Amino acid sequence: MLQQLIADTATGLQQIAEHELPLLQQPADWQSKYRLLMQLGKQLPALPEKMRQTEYLVRGCESRAWLLHYQEPVSGKHYFVLDSEARIVKGLLAIMLCFVNGKTGAELAELDLSRHFDALNLRPYLSQSRGNGLTMMLQRIQSTIKA
Amino acid sequence: MSSFDALAFRQFFPFFNNNPDWVYLDTAATSQKPQQVIDAELAFYQRQNSNVHRGAHQLSQHATAAFEAARDKVQQFLNAASRSEIIFTSGTTAAFNQLAFGLMDTVLKPGDRILISALEHHANIVPWQLHCQSHGVQLDVIPLDPQLMPDLDVYQQLLALKPKIVSLTQVSNALGHILPIGSMLQAAKAAGAITIVDGAQGVSWQVPDVQLWPVDFYCFSGHKLYGPTGIGVLYGKQRYLEQLKPLLGGGEMISDVSFQRSSFAALPARLEAGTPNIAGAIGLAAAIDFIRQFDARQINQYKGELLQQFAAGLSQIPGLRPLTRVEQSAGIVSLQLAGEHPNDLAMLLNEQKIAVRAGSHCAMPLFAALQLPGAVRFAFAPYNLPAEVDVTLQALAAATEILR
Repeated sequence: MLQQLIADTATGLQQIAEHELPLLQQPADWQSKYRLLMQLGKQLPALPEKMRQTEYLVRGCESRAWLLHYQEPVSGKHYFVLDSEARIVKGLLAIMLCFVNGKTGAELAELDLSRHFDALNLRPYLSQSRGNGLTMMLQRIQSTIKA
Repeated sequence: MSSFDALAFRQFFPFFNNNPDWVYLDTAATSQKPQQVIDAELAFYQRQNSNVHRGAHQLSQHATAAFEAARDKVQQFLNAASRSEIIFTSGTTAAFNQLAFGLMDTVLKPGDRILISALEHHANIVPWQLHCQSHGVQLDVIPLDPQLMPDLDVYQQLLALKPKIVSLTQVSNALGHILPIGSMLQAAKAAGAITIVDGAQGVSWQVPDVQLWPVDFYCFSGHKLYGPTGIGVLYGKQRYLEQLKPLLGGGEMISDVSFQRSSFAALPARLEAGTPNIAGAIGLAAAIDFIRQFDARQINQYKGELLQQFAAGLSQIPGLRPLTRVEQSAGIVSLQLAGEHPNDLAMLLNEQKIAVRAGSHCAMPLFAALQLPGAVRFAFAPYNLPAEVDVTLQALAAATEILR
């Protein structure tokens, strides 16, 4: 089950990186930007209800989000599956995952996510302390890969 | 139409001149502050600042006089029988923590019951829970009726279990619903209970006359009544306040201290350990002066008109589902967009500079009972204008269009 979700997530993230991320960098009205965010969130698989367990729940968000993790034993690369009840948040989390998924611990330690979000004109969402939960998700990813 | 002049009222609040692009509909979280409240706090620090009740110098005596005058102001505001019945706290939450801690052992014994409603916010739930289990005290909850008000039939049944404490909110923070507090308190008294009212949302709707109301304790926060943050009031009838075990120990609240034991000072000092929020109390007094210039009935009628205008507009936007029954609301409308998480709607409103709150509003058990992930809350105040209602409705229409 997890393997299928990881494969679907990887496919979705590739789609997002190829099609939606370039679109985000183009000027657009705010309505189009949010439509795009919600659309790219849909590229990631939905976490089945039975897998929405408390142990995967990322707290500190106004909406609930979940994170599952798998480390490939040979390459040491980290793979994630995530979901959120809120569609815009899921879109933002999907973008975050584009820069995180399939990386080694060393690569993740070097990651400068704010630079990527700056380039996409999404920096304000990353710095919000609460509410959309991006910060909490990032902390969870960091603590997960260290564990 | 109400004869209340909202535009003139709004002029007292400098926040709006500094934030002309925003529609502020989060007054249930905190209200804006009129200039005279800001001035009062500033003037204290600029001209009078000294600690209270302890300096040998005259400056301290002046500060003490100003601080104690603020207590007198609150006493008049609530019509308390005595100034020693007014305890300054940091807010409603601190007041409830003092109550829950202070009533255990002294009033509440193992096997006793406390009764609250399903509309309570966390401040009237969690402090009880912190102590109930270890003291063997049972917390009962009045469920909701179909109008999302306390089910009064079940209330009567729960009162028959003879709760020692009945603790109710005056106005629901999540829905805005005004509880029939007068008759509920009377029933609680008839059942022999000590009564507590959470006035955090209610005090700006209706100021209690604590000698007329059958209420033993009343708690409210300054910052939801046009006052500063960090100041609140625990009112209690003298004989009940005297039974409270102090939550905080320290300076001010003692009469004699040795390393063996301490004896406590008289009320109100006994429940005010440490240096109080002096400037906050003075700011709260200024807020009371401010709000008493206006006719509360006119203000409430005006807020009702804003709610009616908003509700009429909502019915034109497909998919919106108000949880609040506007006719029983003190100024809040909480709603859902069918099939959508409230967070999405709130983010799209934030983008359009409409300040609202989304989520469970510190009332998670209520939303669990409603089986909803939360709601988007629009909290109207007398400084909001009909034009802002229109802008908000347009923003809602644009947001729902995107989510469709």
